Amino acid sequence: MTKIDVAVIGGGPAGLAAALKASEKADVMLLERDKELGGILPQCIHEGFGNIILKKTLTGPEYAQHYIDKIKDSNIDIKTGTNILEIDANKNIIATNSEEGIININAESIILAMGCREKTRFQILIPGTRPAGIYTAGTAQRLINIDGLMPGNRIVILGSGDVGLIMARRFTLEGGKVEGVYEITSKPGGLTRNVVQCLDDYRIPLYLSHTVTNIIGKKRIEGVTVAKVDKKMKAIKETERFVPCDCLILAVGLTPENELSKQVDIKIDERTKGPIVNEKMETSVSGIFACGNVIHVHDLVDDVTISAEKAGESAAQYGKEKPKITEKIQVVAGDNVEYVVPQIINRRDLDSITLYFRVKKENKDAVVVVLDGNKKIVEKNERIVKPPEMLKVTLSKETLIPIVQNELKVNVWSKNE
Amino acid sequence: MNDNNIRRKFEKIIKKNKFENISFRIENKIFYLDGKVSSYNDFLKIGALIVKERNIEGVVNNIEYPNKKKIKKINGIKNKIDKVDVVIIGGGVTGSSIARELSKYKLKVILVEKSSDVACGTTKANNGIIHTGIGEKMGTLKQKLCVKGQQNFKKITDELNVPYKQNGMMIITTKDTLVKIKVPSFIKNFFSKRIIPIIVLQRGKKLGIPLNIVNKKELIKREQNITKKALVGIYSPTYGITSPYLFTIALVENAIENGLKLMLNTEIIDILTKENKVKSVVTKKGIIETKFVINAAGLYVDEVADMAGAREYTIHPKKGATLIFDKNTCKYLNHSISMLRFPRKEHYKGGGIMTTIDGNIQWGPTILETPDKEDTKVTSEDIEDIFQSYSPLLEKFPKKSVITYFTGLRACTFTEDFIIKASKKIKGFIHVAGIQSPGLTAAPAIAEMVVDILKNEGLKLERKKNFNPHNKKRIVTTNLSNEEKNKLIEKNPQYGEIVCRCELITKGEIINEIHSKIPALNIDAIKRRTRAGMGRCQAGFCLPKIAQIIAQETGIPIEKILKNEEKSYLFIGRAKCLLEDKYDKN
Repeated sequence: MTKIDVAVIGGGPAGLAAALKASEKADVMLLERDKELGGILPQCIHEGFGNIILKKTLTGPEYAQHYIDKIKDSNIDIKTGTNILEIDANKNIIATNSEEGIININAESIILAMGCREKTRFQILIPGTRPAGIYTAGTAQRLINIDGLMPGNRIVILGSGDVGLIMARRFTLEGGKVEGVYEITSKPGGLTRNVVQCLDDYRIPLYLSHTVTNIIGKKRIEGVTVAKVDKKMKAIKETERFVPCDCLILAVGLTPENELSKQVDIKIDERTKGPIVNEKMETSVSGIFACGNVIHVHDLVDDVTISAEKAGESAAQYGKEKPKITEKIQVVAGDNVEYVVPQIINRRDLDSITLYFRVKKENKDAVVVVLDGNKKIVEKNERIVKPPEMLKVTLSKETLIPIVQNELKVNVWSKNE
Repeated sequence: MNDNNIRRKFEKIIKKNKFENISFRIENKIFYLDGKVSSYNDFLKIGALIVKERNIEGVVNNIEYPNKKKIKKINGIKNKIDKVDVVIIGGGVTGSSIARELSKYKLKVILVEKSSDVACGTTKANNGIIHTGIGEKMGTLKQKLCVKGQQNFKKITDELNVPYKQNGMMIITTKDTLVKIKVPSFIKNFFSKRIIPIIVLQRGKKLGIPLNIVNKKELIKREQNITKKALVGIYSPTYGITSPYLFTIALVENAIENGLKLMLNTEIIDILTKENKVKSVVTKKGIIETKFVINAAGLYVDEVADMAGAREYTIHPKKGATLIFDKNTCKYLNHSISMLRFPRKEHYKGGGIMTTIDGNIQWGPTILETPDKEDTKVTSEDIEDIFQSYSPLLEKFPKKSVITYFTGLRACTFTEDFIIKASKKIKGFIHVAGIQSPGLTAAPAIAEMVVDILKNEGLKLERKKNFNPHNKKRIVTTNLSNEEKNKLIEKNPQYGEIVCRCELITKGEIINEIHSKIPALNIDAIKRRTRAGMGRCQAGFCLPKIAQIIAQETGIPIEKILKNEEKSYLFIGRAKCLLEDKYDKN
């Protein structure tokens, strides 16, 4: 049995930043299932990483390397190629790798940083056959950028999430023909900058309010049928048409990976699909923290890093002082808000805190209003709010201390109303 | 009823139904139909008209309908590649069971299969249920062989080291059991609660199948999530579950161990006869001389029989779609559940909510006629149909946790029973046709029956003294204790390298299958044997890694690795291949 202060599960951007931060005050073990550190970053060879915290625009591998270099200089115990088999609420971990066999670890605290995974065609119930040539966008990205393999030549992309948009450009640069990006909702699913830089600049058509209704082909995919959808997102039969392709790429959303969290009955937020956390990134199980895409899917890696550093700091601190029993303030999603993280703020040691949230619907000239009962404690103007773009609002210590209610509500209102 | 009476009766029926241009003849109790109709539905309708007559043993339906697929004939194969005692056509569970049974005797046997692996047709989509026989029509051959096969299943799966569990089945009636019958609901409920269970119990008694009644209170205790409409449960403890493909693979591996020759990717194109006796089987790879052919070609039995001029049946496939749910949904039920509904769709037991041998939950299968023997697509109607049929049984079940779905095709004949017999026309040609549910359960009994038929037909059978009934146990690391895993990894570190993160499948397990008796050289072959790629991410993470392992172990270039069959290529080439093409053209 190996004893350690902090065990970090996952060596992607969240795990790297969490481990690094925790290692300033504690002994840390970093467990990564892949052979390399960096998680998804090594395959994200486009740029756009690090604008906020490193104040420069890096590629994914560069951003990862920035942290990997620091990790290698630290005294963090790094275990790559190591999969977790079990964890429990007493912070016992059973892991396995090829050098050590079964590894038993007991940690003071655990940080969950497993990231997220992509939804498949089956989760969204696309009918049809099951031929070769259907990949999720992330898998296709790995195939091209890491393995040097080309998944297809004529490509249809379903879903306009960021990975889908980036892959549309990637396939084009590789000489493939992207027949179109089809998005079931009436707005693009990814960041505006990606719509412009990945589709518009390459004249790749984006079909909004469209979906794939059938997959055709026995051995290798031969085409799909696409159709317009009505307001209830049901395909309109009369608009169905055949699009020949040899590859279908799915960018239909990401799900936080919480199989381990479920093993220890950590409370999961139905909307984020990730653990409910407090301002210290602690889950409902004492001493188990979570950060990054395990909690909710982020659009920018910088925000992942910020949440991870918070988790790292809290996990290193865990157990060093007796937790005071304090009142909890629930943070809830109000008008036009899909979810808010963290969901809980403890009244003890109140400090300034940033709330992360997404809107349900696009809105121009909006105002973010945080309510303590009926009292507005913060107001922030936003020129435009969109579901794909995560919003933040920071509550200073001064605004938090006088809170009366045990519930804060985050609303996004239209200024005109 | 004699032939003349049948003739008269049939003529009356077709007149009444206003079918024109239909001709027919009866020969050796086989009903041959010819003519032309305007839809596939009419083709089905006419084919089924006469089958209730006892004197009819088979229906050969050659009626034309619009868009009927023509069978292309390939010629020109001349090279002789082998001479054997028996050729078995079809590597599904039926052909594979026969192959294993025959490997007990001093015979030279070849099993030919057109796909790249065994268990690739109907068997692949089977739900793995080992039936008791209670759901089959009384007095049918399939019921008899089901009961017999079920009794042998434990022994045979033990020998072959294949997972098999008797996990029981909870058969229930609900307030909707008789929903389509127009009588007051108190009468329906009385029947569903009191009468139906007694009838089922009596049937069980007749067949020697243990059953017990579970009252509603007890039922709710055992299945907390069951619908409030449930009235009573009939628990059948001897229902079992296995993996249809692992079972089939194990049968063939064991047969190979005992001398069978397996030929994959080998399509049959003709069967040559001389003086109404089997002479040879012509495959795309060459000619195999033999005196005995066993037609276990599943969906294609009619076409194969035609090649020999021994056709006694026509296959009209029925699709069955199944949804598979995430393993974490297994907490919502304790037993496989099947609901009784009357009137039943003909020749359909109704499917249900079942566990799989690996702990997933499956809903289905549906039933739907299709003219296409390769129609394995799942339509939105199929999905809708499954949700409508089964979600009322467990309202709280998380329906969104679907991880995959698929369609299988049942090889149904018009007589809807198994047809297992020697051809009267062509000596040495053995029919094993119409094997639909409960074909998996019955497979061991079918195999024994076929051996008896061969004996009667004059094949000399002498038992091998050195027959080895056992297969080596597959290493499945998730079944091992942590101490056992540790020991294993120490010996071979590849068992510590997890490739499929959802199902926790190691590189060691994958490599074993690449070098096994039936080498697994494509993604799906690895998947069926190890479960790598069968989890919630559906191979999103592990597919590139598995392709790499196959390439490394075999020397096949990675861009040539296939998903399953020929032309199911995963990649179109190396990255930059399209750019190179473009530069070349410039």
